[in-house]
Amino acid sequence: MSAAFKSAGVRVLALCLALSAALSAALPALAATAAPALLDFTPDERARILAHGPWPPTVPQDRSNRAERRPAAVAWGRALFFDTRLSAHGRLSCASCHQPARSFQDARNIPDLMETATPGTSATLHAGQRNTPSLLGTVHQRWWGWDGAHDSLWAASLAPLLASAEMGHTLAGLAARVRGAADLAAGYQRAHRQPVPEDDEQVAVGVAKALAAWQATLRLPRTPFDDFRDALARHDLRAAARYPAAAQRGLRLFVGEGRCFFCHTGPGFSNGEFADIGMPFFVPGGVDAGRHQGLLQLQSSAYTRLGRHNDVGAADPRAVATRHVVLEPRHFGEFKVPGLRQLIRSAPYMHNGSLATLQDVVQHYSALNEERLHADGERILRPLHLDAGQRADLEAFLRSLSR
Amino acid sequence: MRTWPVTLTGALAAAGPLAVVGLLAALAGAHAQPAPATSADPGACEPPAAAGQRLAAGGVQAWWRAEPAPLRVGQPFALVVTLCPAQTQLLRVDAHMPEHRHGMNYRPTLQPLGGGRWRVEGLLWHMPGRWELVLEAGLDEQKARLTQTVLLR
Repeated sequence: MSAAFKSAGVRVLALCLALSAALSAALPALAATAAPALLDFTPDERARILAHGPWPPTVPQDRSNRAERRPAAVAWGRALFFDTRLSAHGRLSCASCHQPARSFQDARNIPDLMETATPGTSATLHAGQRNTPSLLGTVHQRWWGWDGAHDSLWAASLAPLLASAEMGHTLAGLAARVRGAADLAAGYQRAHRQPVPEDDEQVAVGVAKALAAWQATLRLPRTPFDDFRDALARHDLRAAARYPAAAQRGLRLFVGEGRCFFCHTGPGFSNGEFADIGMPFFVPGGVDAGRHQGLLQLQSSAYTRLGRHNDVGAADPRAVATRHVVLEPRHFGEFKVPGLRQLIRSAPYMHNGSLATLQDVVQHYSALNEERLHADGERILRPLHLDAGQRADLEAFLRSLSR
Repeated sequence: MRTWPVTLTGALAAAGPLAVVGLLAALAGAHAQPAPATSADPGACEPPAAAGQRLAAGGVQAWWRAEPAPLRVGQPFALVVTLCPAQTQLLRVDAHMPEHRHGMNYRPTLQPLGGGRWRVEGLLWHMPGRWELVLEAGLDEQKARLTQTVLLR
C-alpha cells in the first residue's frame, strides 16, 4: 500500500512538473500578446499631457454673485431651471433646451424655437443660428456663449430670459411674475436674504444669479484620460499602460503634429478664447459675426462685471478680462473654443451644430481649407491629411475624454 | 559669462532701436533671475527686491515679474515693472506670437506706482508656445523698445 501510494505520488509530481514547464513556456508568449503597452512619450509630450490635468480643478467662487454657493440659492435656481413661468408664454423652461438627460443640451443642430424666431434684429438673427451648448462644467468658463457676449454665468443666464426668440420676458414682466407668485417671491427671499426688491432689473438679475448658482454645481466627471494622465504624473507606468493604445496614439497626435493643444489647452481642453476654424459664417439672411458681434454686445451690456450688478464691484478679480478685452476686425467669424470633456454626449458639434459625429469633426480638421483660414495672416491651423488609422486614433482619444 | 542667451539687436529710437531678446526655457516668473550686465547698461541701477527678469536698452533698464507666477496658458496676469532711471516712462506693453502672427486679445493698462515702478494689468496669453513680450519706454524724448521671448508651456 505504501509502495502504491508512493508510485501515485511520483506520477502526480511528474504531471505537475510537466504542467509547470508547459505554462512557463506559454506565459511569455501570452504576456507579449496581451500585456498593455505604453508609448514612448518624449519629455515634451509628457509635459503637454500633464498640462491637461489634474481633474477636477479647484473652482474659485464667482464673487460677482454672492449667492453662488448659498444652498438656498442653489435650490431655488434648480427649481427655476425647470419652471416654465420663466418664459413669457409659459411654454419653455431652461430645461427645454438644456435637457439634463442629454448633458444639458438638446442634441439638435439648431433649437426648434430659434429656427422659428422672427428675423429682423441682429439678436434674433444670431440667436437662431447656433447650437445649444451643454451646461456641464460651465462654471469653468471665462466667457459664455459661442460669441462670448457674457462675462459671467449669471449674465449668460439672464440673456435667454429676455431674448424675444427664447423666453421672451421683459424686465417688468419677469419681475411681476416673481412678485405675483408666492412661491417665487419666497424663493427669492430665501436665496437672496431680502424681500423681492422694487427694482425690476434687480429682480431679474436675482433670478439669473440663482439659476447660475445651480448651474455652477453641474460638474464634469473624471474620465479614462484623467486616470492615464494621473498615472503618468506619479510614474505608475503599469497603470498608464492600461490606457488603450489607440487613445495613446491619438493623444500623441493631439499634443504633436495635430497642433490641437494650442487652443484646446489645460484641464478643460479649452483656452477659453475664440478661433476661426474654417466653419462658414454665412447664414440664411445674413452673417453670424461670432466673437466680433459678441464683443459689441458685451460692451453695450448693463449686465457685466463692470456694471452695478456685480456684488463686489471693482474688487472682483475676474473683471480684469472684461476691462481689458479688445474688439478687433480679426474677431469676425471667431467662435468659442469649446472644452472637449464629455464630447460623446454633446453631439452635434460646432457653433452651428453642422457636424453630426466625432468622425465628422476629425475629418473637418483633416481637410481644412488653408487658403480660407489664413486670409488674415494667422498660421495655426493647417489640414492634417490624416489617414484612416490616424483619424480612428484621434477619435479614440477624444472619446476617452468622456465617461 | 551669460546665464542664458541674450542678443542685442538694435539701438534707441534716436540712437536706433535697441532690443534685448532673452529666451527663457521655462515658465516666465517661475525661474526669475537677473540677467548679466551688458555693454548697453547705464550701470547706475540696483535691481529691486524680487527683481524678476531684466532687460536693458540704450540707457534704460527694466526688471519685470509676473503676478501670479508661474504664468499659465489662458490665465490673466499682471506685470510688476521697475524702470531705471526712475524718471523713465513706460509707454506701452504688448505681446505677440511671431510664428502664429497674432497678439493678445487684451490690451494692458499701465499704472505708475512711483519711483520707477509700474503695474501692468490685463495680460493674458492664450496659447502655449513662444511669446514675444514688448515693453516700450520713454526717456529724454527718446523711445526704447525692450523685448523678451518667453516660452510658455
